[in-house]
Amino acid sequence: MECRVLSIQSHVVRGYVGNKSASFPLQVLGFEVDSINSVQFSNHTGYSHWKGQVLTADELHVLYEGIKLNKVHQYDYVLTGYTRDTSFLEMVVDIIQELKRANPNLVYVCDPVLGDHGSMYVPQNLYPVYKNKVVPVADIITPNQFEAELLTGKNITTEKDAVEVMDLLHAMGPDTVVITSSDLPSRLGDRFLVSLGSQRKVRPDGSRTTQRVRMEVHKVDAVFVGTGDLFAAMLLAWTHHYPDDLKMACEKTFSVMHHVIQRTISYAHELAGPGRRPSPPQLELRMVQSKADIEDPAIVLEATVIS
Amino acid sequence: MECRVLSIQSHVVRGYVGNKSATFPLQVLGFEVDSINSVQFSNHTGYAHWKGQVLTAEELNVLYEGIKLNQVNRYDYILTGYSRDSSFLETVVDIIQELKKANPSLVYVCDPVMGDHGAMYVPEYLLPVYRDKVVPLADILTPNQFEAELLTGRKITTEEDALEVMDLLHKLGPETVVLTSTDLPSKRGDQFLVALGSQNIVKADGTKTSQKICMDMPKVDAVFVGTGDLFAAMLLAWTHHHPKDLKAACEKTASVMHHVIRRTMTYANEMAGPGKRPSPAQLELRMVQSKADIENPAVVRRTLVLNVFMYQCNN
Repeated sequence: MECRVLSIQSHVVRGYVGNKSASFPLQVLGFEVDSINSVQFSNHTGYSHWKGQVLTADELHVLYEGIKLNKVHQYDYVLTGYTRDTSFLEMVVDIIQELKRANPNLVYVCDPVLGDHGSMYVPQNLYPVYKNKVVPVADIITPNQFEAELLTGKNITTEKDAVEVMDLLHAMGPDTVVITSSDLPSRLGDRFLVSLGSQRKVRPDGSRTTQRVRMEVHKVDAVFVGTGDLFAAMLLAWTHHYPDDLKMACEKTFSVMHHVIQRTISYAHELAGPGRRPSPPQLELRMVQSKADIEDPAIVLEATVIS
Repeated sequence: MECRVLSIQSHVVRGYVGNKSATFPLQVLGFEVDSINSVQFSNHTGYAHWKGQVLTAEELNVLYEGIKLNQVNRYDYILTGYSRDSSFLETVVDIIQELKKANPSLVYVCDPVMGDHGAMYVPEYLLPVYRDKVVPLADILTPNQFEAELLTGRKITTEEDALEVMDLLHKLGPETVVLTSTDLPSKRGDQFLVALGSQNIVKADGTKTSQKICMDMPKVDAVFVGTGDLFAAMLLAWTHHHPKDLKAACEKTASVMHHVIRRTMTYANEMAGPGKRPSPAQLELRMVQSKADIENPAVVRRTLVLNVFMYQCNN
């Protein structure tokens, strides 16, 4: 497999978020990963302390120029995640547009990180950039419910709402949308959350079809950081292998997440000791230990195809 | 295995040098790798063009402070390579000293990158920093012949010279020294180069000795970048698994190198086409494609154990 990904995300010295979360699993699956580190921090911002440096939009451009001057700016995928800077994000858009001209088959996987549980955790001025510039060039997006609502201006209270929101997102650009988590009630009870996916395809006869899937995902009683980044990376990988089968791609992706999270939670509790809540360092994803699950995830959930 | 490495090396967006070369193989072998990127460049400097930014000694310190404030400054290994900045290198030394205080068992694997084939390719003023501050802290050192000569002030023209130079390097600090390449003539002919290693060990009866080994490595008709970084990372991994058996550690390390280089050469020649020399971009190591070899290097290198020297400890 000869597949090159450009991933523009954070780097942390310790732990697994951003490029640290995305690179190893993609490399383990045989993808070539070129990575531009948008920041270099000691660790993620959920620890008591964090320190480091950020890359400016100019510096990002300089790095891209280097790649371009050497005529190696051919990518099959671009992957982006958490950003706090509008000019940086706009530079990313410019780069992606140029890369798409160089390779019209390029697939841009975008995690439109804006917030969660009803509130934004990036500056508000990022919202119009995502809505008007980023999402329109995305091919696959992985918003959570809040981000999906924000981008479309429509609230989700039923599955029907979610389907409509995903159709609205398709109309904005991406042919593949996965709402990574929602507050919708799960058929399996309140220990589960609902995720949904939608993929628009054009049949050989030119007609449009949409495959929609629903996943019941086991909730975990812990705050993980980096799981969204891992999710987007693995969705990239599994939609690459199953470009016309969102059900399968989601089953693989959600299964990897399950294995990594289970392993992490066990280890975190072991380290913390009985009755104590694990700390952020203890909750870092057990990434290298999950190599076998990343390579070949045993399927642990079945996605339901919905109309 | 619960083993955490702090690797302070370059990052390139594309390709495999510095941290890009060291991180994936170590992670594949189950090591936790914390990485501080000393620079971020588009690609290595052997391409026609390269662009990017460097980390200052101050910024390095700030990152380390973050780790320290969270009380997670505990490492089993440190790994460093190519550096061009003496103040950066000196900050690295300070950090290592502090980490060794936090964990006295910490092993510092140091590639004292200064030059090759008789010429320095870093600023001259790095030599005293390496010789007087860095190497004394190192536990495992991977100089090439030129770097070993620079550090000891001794020329190597025979195998005996090489053994003496490695002993001089032991005296500077590191218990384990690998001369990654030399100009010494190989018994297997001129398609091979000679590498040597030396490890101080204490036997069960308390006597000190050193195991010295010699390896013949096939020469390759190409310039690779990042192979030294891969070598140091893999030597870290295999000495971790074979702490008292340099022969086994070097066999595995050299084997990984062999497989990765072979795969890379084949691919590069394929990409370049018949009769054409591959470009730097085409010669990037086939790292992710070599995962299985990294995990389990089929040993192809025959390592000769030269001699086991014994001497009395002068206490």
